[in-house]
Amino acid sequence: MPNDRDEELKREIDTHLELEAKERIEEGLSADEARAAARRAFGNALRTREDVEAVWSWTWLREVHQDAMYGVRMLAKDWGFAVVAIVTLALGIGANSAMFAVADATLLRPLPFPDPDRLVMISEMRRNGSSGGQVNPLDLVDWIERNRSFEGMAAVLAGQTSITGAEGTAEPVNSQAVTTRFFDVLGIKPIAGRTFVAADDEASRVVVLGEAFWRRHFDGEPTVIGRQVRLGGQMFTAIGVVPSSFQLDTPGFPGFGPTSIWTVQGHPRARGPAERYPHYLPVIGRLKPGVAIEAARSEMASISDALAAETPATNKGHRATVDPLRQRLISQELRLTSLLLLGVVGFVLLMCCANIANLLLARTSARARELAVRSALGAGRLRIVRQLLTESLVLAAVGGVLGMAVGAAILRVAPSLVPTGLLPTLFPLVFDLRVLTFCLVTTFVVAILSALAPAWQATGMSLVHVMSLDTRTSTGASSKLRRGLAIAEVAVAVLLLCGAGLLLRTLLTLEDVDAGDRAGDLLTTRVSPGMDRTPDAMRQFYAAIEGAVRDAPGVRDVAWGSALPLEGRFYGQSFEIDGDPPRPQGDRDSTGYQIVSPNYFRLLGVSVLEGRDFTDADSTEAPQVCIVDEAFVRRYLKGRMPIGTRVLVNAMVQPPRAVLREIVGVVKHIKERPDEREAQPQLYVPIAQNTWWLASLVVQPASGPAAALAPTVRAAMARVDRDRPLQIQTLTGIRTLATARPRFRAVLVGAFAVLALILAVVGVFGVLAYSVQQRTREFGVRVALGANASSVLRLVIASAGGVIGIGIAIGLVAAAVLSRSISTFLFGVQPLDPITFVLVPLVLIATATIAVAAPAWRAARVDPVVAFRAE
Amino acid sequence: MPTKPPRSGLLQGTLDLLILRTLLFGPLHGHGIAKHIQRTSEDVLLVEHGSLYPALHRLEKSGCIASRWEQTERGREMRLYRLTAKGRRQLTFEESRWKELARAMARILKPV
Repeated sequence: MPNDRDEELKREIDTHLELEAKERIEEGLSADEARAAARRAFGNALRTREDVEAVWSWTWLREVHQDAMYGVRMLAKDWGFAVVAIVTLALGIGANSAMFAVADATLLRPLPFPDPDRLVMISEMRRNGSSGGQVNPLDLVDWIERNRSFEGMAAVLAGQTSITGAEGTAEPVNSQAVTTRFFDVLGIKPIAGRTFVAADDEASRVVVLGEAFWRRHFDGEPTVIGRQVRLGGQMFTAIGVVPSSFQLDTPGFPGFGPTSIWTVQGHPRARGPAERYPHYLPVIGRLKPGVAIEAARSEMASISDALAAETPATNKGHRATVDPLRQRLISQELRLTSLLLLGVVGFVLLMCCANIANLLLARTSARARELAVRSALGAGRLRIVRQLLTESLVLAAVGGVLGMAVGAAILRVAPSLVPTGLLPTLFPLVFDLRVLTFCLVTTFVVAILSALAPAWQATGMSLVHVMSLDTRTSTGASSKLRRGLAIAEVAVAVLLLCGAGLLLRTLLTLEDVDAGDRAGDLLTTRVSPGMDRTPDAMRQFYAAIEGAVRDAPGVRDVAWGSALPLEGRFYGQSFEIDGDPPRPQGDRDSTGYQIVSPNYFRLLGVSVLEGRDFTDADSTEAPQVCIVDEAFVRRYLKGRMPIGTRVLVNAMVQPPRAVLREIVGVVKHIKERPDEREAQPQLYVPIAQNTWWLASLVVQPASGPAAALAPTVRAAMARVDRDRPLQIQTLTGIRTLATARPRFRAVLVGAFAVLALILAVVGVFGVLAYSVQQRTREFGVRVALGANASSVLRLVIASAGGVIGIGIAIGLVAAAVLSRSISTFLFGVQPLDPITFVLVPLVLIATATIAVAAPAWRAARVDPVVAFRAE
Repeated sequence: MPTKPPRSGLLQGTLDLLILRTLLFGPLHGHGIAKHIQRTSEDVLLVEHGSLYPALHRLEKSGCIASRWEQTERGREMRLYRLTAKGRRQLTFEESRWKELARAMARILKPV
């Protein structure tokens, strides 16, 4: 209809002009003069039509639509530029959106449970720090009975079991053993069947399935409720299914992966004082509505103080503390990593904007004439700005849509690239509404930022200026702007490269860390006979496994250990030195406690510094012995001869009891983590004298890589027990896993730093190429006046050198200031590491030389004749 | 943002008033309205004819005037504008306001 209206108006105007012309003819003018006079009297017909249109439509929307269509046409003409800009934007916006999803999950989003603010973690701290915050089950029972602040408390233990399929093969299954109120505390409702009730206990062997597990193994059939499922060699009854959206990482045990099934925890069999020794339960709780966490904290403190007074032998010095669950689930390290990555990616996006702004500035200069004419024809300054903004918005919109696709793709691929345990399974990374909103907002901001400089420049152009071809002066402000942008880009590239350099050096330092062992390529797997066997049965089981594996072809030697180098496992036990004044349990010192076989240290290449290694003579009936490491000697045995000293240390048995052991040897300290700053003392006990339900089997191949031995070992173990799941790793693999997070950080920041470098080099190239092109005439004059090629070259290089030099200087200063904020991620490297801070500028100068080469070469070969010809 | 002065050289409202007044005497087409204003004001008012049409459309949008296409004797198709009842009321209102304004101006500009 607007077209009809415009048609009608055109007819009306034509008629008007005819009538007016007729009158003038009657006044005596010639036909041509009359028509011209009529037109003059009428004024600008085009403007009339525009104004009439404006009366009938929402002017603003119409103009935006016009601008958008115009913008699309302009971009289609210049599609090379458009493609470059859109791809740059898509990558920048996509990467940012993906990183926002991570940051959102770790920093912003509340826990995905009902009323998440009321969820807390309750930990039991010992004065000597040996419990790691974990709780004793009897203490938990007393807490539940005595508290008034909590709606409920529950404990959760991570574990692994297996499901035996019809073919008889065992498949590993991640499980959590929980107390019966677990699902109530978290507010999870089953999608089929029921969750646990108070009547359920370990003996009833009931299991709750996860939705994904249910669909995978039982085709999602509701008939599974009430059916028997073979887990870990025993029959369980499935009672319910919980939604797949539910996951909770066991607090303090990251890296297990998503849980598939839930069983009920066992209680201690007796309620004697000895049962109060072991601390191994992470406990979560839900506060009653309206109860402040401080109130809960003080109540729990007084409850634990009361328990300490009632059973001082075990509980003296224990204090319960309450923290928000979110804080305990998402480590500070993870939060800082998210912030770091978000910052890096944000910088890269800004650089993309700068590059696009540069491109737009170049285009605007090229379109100077068109824009000046528009301005002269009556387009207001604001209208031109709006038009440029709309063009930029069209670019950004296309880039943004592609960016969403890029972001979604990154998130799809990310979980396989991110080291396990770095991101809690709590929040699956999806491209949801929040991320989408962020993407849209980013696109909009990018559009505005990119268009700002060119728009401002464009509106300052006057028709006279441009029409006179006086291009020398017309680029004054714009070239300063472009130089400024290029300097900023160089600075950001330097900043990111320095950060990447520091993280890379940290990674290399960590990878080279001496863990204390000289092990070659060894295979290892966790073995468990199950918790409910007698010690003799367990010993037989381990012996059977050892025998089967030792006999397998290709195996040279086999040993048992508990915490392997750099595995990050720690089992603490409290002890006393024999002869020292006795102390109550809570006051005792603690040490790391490891159960090993006699050839363990030999296999791992750990030197025995004093005394001897374990032998087969250290059997169950023989005198109880132990070996300590140098850290133990340093901390606890000052001024004593280690060999011969006796310690009274709690064994890892049920019921717990203390055993007097004589120290027969001192070994080199084995690191638990590569970035271990303070060595934790360790005490080793022969496996024959303390058999526990968990052990690590270490296998040495006769020849070739250890990984090749995996199928053989698996087959050998299956002959002994086919129900146990196996997770086979190599010692090298464990070492690599230990540096997974620093590697992740170094790789990611490094990749973005390289991207930033490329963008900066492109930016510098753009500025230089443009500047050379603008100064072609000047160079021509110089050459004509006798300058030689090398002096022109020097001019160009000086100009480039200025940009690069200032950029590097600013970048280094920024890096010096900001490097302190990532000091938590650094190991063995100073925040102001000289090597990094010297190498980065050199790298930048080297790559920038590439950018400078081509324009400099062109400048040097300027032919004055060509330069003087009309542009 | 400084607005460009309307092409008619008059305030927007005054042109509307002139158009309404012109149409009081009967329907006219665009050119006729322009000529009438020009003649009766002895060429003082109305700089460009083109500025008339946006005003006409505005008045039509607000319902003060109505238009229709008609065939003249010579076979030419022309759009005729006429005053509506609402337009008549608006004219009275605007006229009285304008007279008040003129009186006030006269008082202020009285020779000392």
